Amino acid sequence: MNRVLHAEWTKVRTEPTARWLLPTIVVATVLVSLLAIAAASCEGGGCGLDPVALSLAGVQLGQAVVVMLAVLAIGGEQGTGLLRTTFTAAPRRMVVLAAKAVLTGGLTLAAGTVAVLGCVAAGRAILPGNGNGNGNAAPSLADGPTLRAVVGSVLYLVLIGLLALGVAAAIRDSAAAMGAVLALLYAVPLVAAAINDPELQRTLRRFAPMTAGLAVQATTDLDDLPIGPWAGLAVLAAWSGASLLLGALLLHHRDP
Amino acid sequence: MASSIEVSDLRKRYGRTVALDGMSFTVRPGHVTGFVGPNGAGKSTTMRVVLGLAAPDGGTALVGGVPYRTLRRPLTHVGALLDAGALQPSRSARNHLLWLAHSQGLATRRVDEVLEQAGLGEVRRRRAGGFSLGMRQQLGIAAALLGDPPILMLDEPFNGLDPEGIVWMRGLLGTLAAQDRAVLVSSHLMSELQHIAAHVVIVGRGKVLADTTMSELLAASPGEGAGSLEDAYFALTRDAVEFRGEAAR
Amino acid sequence: MSDFGRLVRAEWTKFRTVRGWVLGTVAAALVTVLLGLFVASNSHSVCSKGTVDVECPTSPVGPDGQPVRDKFYFVHQPLAGDGAITVRVTSMTGLITYPPPDHDEIVPGLVEWAKAGVIVKDGTAEGSRYVALMVTAKHGVRMQHDFVHDTAGKPGAVSADAPRWLRLTRVGDTLTGEESADGASWTSVGTAQLAGTVEIGLFVTSPSDLTVHGGVGGGGFQARLAKATATFDSVGLTGTAPGGDWLRDDIGVEPNPDGTLHHPGSVEEAGGVMTVSGNGDIAPLTGESGPAIQLALIGLVIGLIVVIVVAALFITTELRRGVIGVTLLASPRRGRVLAAKAVVLGAVTFVAGTAAAALVIPLAWAALRSNGFRQPGVPLPTIARVALEAGLLVAGAALLALGLGALLRRGLAAVGIAVAVVVLPYLAAVVGGLPTAASEWLLRLTPAAAFAIQQVTPEYAHVLASYTPGSGYYPLPAWGGLAVMAGYAALALGLASARLRRSDA
Repeated sequence: MNRVLHAEWTKVRTEPTARWLLPTIVVATVLVSLLAIAAASCEGGGCGLDPVALSLAGVQLGQAVVVMLAVLAIGGEQGTGLLRTTFTAAPRRMVVLAAKAVLTGGLTLAAGTVAVLGCVAAGRAILPGNGNGNGNAAPSLADGPTLRAVVGSVLYLVLIGLLALGVAAAIRDSAAAMGAVLALLYAVPLVAAAINDPELQRTLRRFAPMTAGLAVQATTDLDDLPIGPWAGLAVLAAWSGASLLLGALLLHHRDP
Repeated sequence: MASSIEVSDLRKRYGRTVALDGMSFTVRPGHVTGFVGPNGAGKSTTMRVVLGLAAPDGGTALVGGVPYRTLRRPLTHVGALLDAGALQPSRSARNHLLWLAHSQGLATRRVDEVLEQAGLGEVRRRRAGGFSLGMRQQLGIAAALLGDPPILMLDEPFNGLDPEGIVWMRGLLGTLAAQDRAVLVSSHLMSELQHIAAHVVIVGRGKVLADTTMSELLAASPGEGAGSLEDAYFALTRDAVEFRGEAAR
Repeated sequence: MSDFGRLVRAEWTKFRTVRGWVLGTVAAALVTVLLGLFVASNSHSVCSKGTVDVECPTSPVGPDGQPVRDKFYFVHQPLAGDGAITVRVTSMTGLITYPPPDHDEIVPGLVEWAKAGVIVKDGTAEGSRYVALMVTAKHGVRMQHDFVHDTAGKPGAVSADAPRWLRLTRVGDTLTGEESADGASWTSVGTAQLAGTVEIGLFVTSPSDLTVHGGVGGGGFQARLAKATATFDSVGLTGTAPGGDWLRDDIGVEPNPDGTLHHPGSVEEAGGVMTVSGNGDIAPLTGESGPAIQLALIGLVIGLIVVIVVAALFITTELRRGVIGVTLLASPRRGRVLAAKAVVLGAVTFVAGTAAAALVIPLAWAALRSNGFRQPGVPLPTIARVALEAGLLVAGAALLALGLGALLRRGLAAVGIAVAVVVLPYLAAVVGGLPTAASEWLLRLTPAAAFAIQQVTPEYAHVLASYTPGSGYYPLPAWGGLAVMAGYAALALGLASARLRRSDA
């Protein structure tokens, strides 16, 4: 495994695309969070906004870049036939997939942590001045729910990356895999927002990867959430596990 | 004039590498012209410049007296086989030729004609992604013949062909030349070229090293008795080889 | 066939002979229709009065066919020909129930568009034509007619120290509204037309107190009952039958299940002074058929993702596999090659998008109707317009993806960027990842602006409502949004064309 991991790491650090995807994750996340924070102004206290969730809004764009990174980790090789070479050098395909998962997860963890901390910093800097001072303190890592939201958001990004990796292993074309993951993530929140059936809405939101996973970002109005914060991440983890399993099965049985 | 390739003083560099350094030669109809040289000598680059795929820094390349990019139905003037692997894997062989035919306004039955001619009649509806190297090569030849052009430019046409295919290709090239077409064949298979090419252009380091008839070249080559193309080639290109491996111990 | 015609034919053959691309396009249309139908058939409109479930009421319809709210307290007499009503408004007060921040008491106050004044109306049916001259709580004197027309008079509120005289005169078919501060010198406010026998009189009404919050989670609004009460004196009426009695009608009031009236208005008369109370509004209904279009087209978002993938693959597989070399041998004019691809892809995706939208909107409406929705349907010309615009939206996204694919030469990047700028801003606005102000800016600047095609009711300056993308109101008009999308697509294709022409193949 170590050798395979080393080989995979060499592949990643010599691939220019992968190298600038990592800062893009950070930039995209922080930029959108800035947009969200700057646009949120409250007249007279209690505007119904959760300052922490607002600061972390950028994760919703950052996750698309994380998906790109994960798809690239395996999709890039399937397109060029490099996968065949990889499997010739390392015939135990599961080990290869595991190494890619470790690498993707690790890189996402690193970039995600920087991105999320950047969002918190932005929130601390800008939110108090925006009229949010009445009773809404700036997000602080010392606060329990805030810390949970921050850690949870980083884990969310990692799990999304693993989900995407599984799908990309299953769908050989990287563009199609990217489209499939994005459609999978965004379809349910879209449908749930439009449907006028509160029970169905709640059910959909409980079990869909994106809405369940993002529940971890909430620090206020927890009763309104479709699912509890950690439970939501568990749902997402189940999706990621299933996706990796599917990808592993297909990788194992198909000719590369 | 209508069926000749004229390359005149072509120059091109890629960054600091000089690919073409005053390449000049003419390919005339009626016989097969061999195009040989070490790797990196500029053969593929020359062909791509002639076909308008790459722009030269200097010099001109004309087909039938005009630049390729000005031709209105180019495949009816020049048929080229450059990269047999340039195929959409999920498209069938027939459909690959079909869109090419449509782009030139050729009749659909022409597609089936060239497929038969190239020996792919049985597999015409199979997806190109499943083709072997040789079959892809045959498809590339079929594409080159689609427009029934008076000029043909083939880069490594023997690549991947089985022995039967090689014999077929030999015959095809001879027939095409006999039909008064200009046929340029770039190949490393010295033995084949020696038999089918009446004219040969040897290039090295971006310029022409020899541009002469095969019989003259063989007569002038060193060695006793009738020389071989291979000997002549090595004699001429000794200093022009860029990428030379170490001899095995 | 011309050179370009042959090129287009070749590109069309290229497209239709790859089963994956054809199936992908069909799948995009299918997913649009199926998701829209799924959402519509699972959306139920449940109305109740108290604890009893009743069928949802159908809104009254104004003279132009748009759904309206027509609820006010009317004190009136019939008028056959020429005539006039003059009145002095000396006070306007109101009550607002449970406003923020605490939502726990009924406070005195007026909502900004509370209305009191005189009105000439074509009968007492809801939705009938009218001309009204009124004082409002925060927008001064206004003259409004037929629900959608509004003219401003002088600003300022009404009080005992600063009363306002209003006069509405009909001569022939023309009504003229005038106001005065002292009853002597009059300023004209505006004119309108209303013929036939009408009811002329006083009215008071007040829209609900609205708070719009654009928070994470889609935002939303809360409406709470608000009432207005106005005092009128010096009432002068000409042209009506002499000695006629004032008729009193609570226009648009609804009965409770037990027979009593729900939030009734009232009038008290004492010595020539009438104190009238009312709630409701005389205005077009906002955001009622809009969301249904948005609801029906919800699947378009996922369909767009599929189309973007197909469009990106259409060009990037050709570039990646070297087929572009073969293409350029067949057709050396590179700009034209890209143009031919754009024509084919644009046409195919336009047809797919239009067909999908034309199919899903009526089908979704039928499903919504059978689920209890009672808003008036969208007229056929509007459906046709929205369907064609949806086709343009889909084609625009496809061309953007084509341009990105040709420029960046990597399908992954093309799909990622195209989805990020076309789909994600709209998602953030509707699903609610961002505050409303932020998503509205994105819906001006990104290609997602084209989603404005879904707005079927205009915003009205004289009606306060939740004008957010989630309710079907967009910052740009439909053609403006499509132009933004087209601009991005043209930019991508232009850059790609330049790159293709410059580079060696």
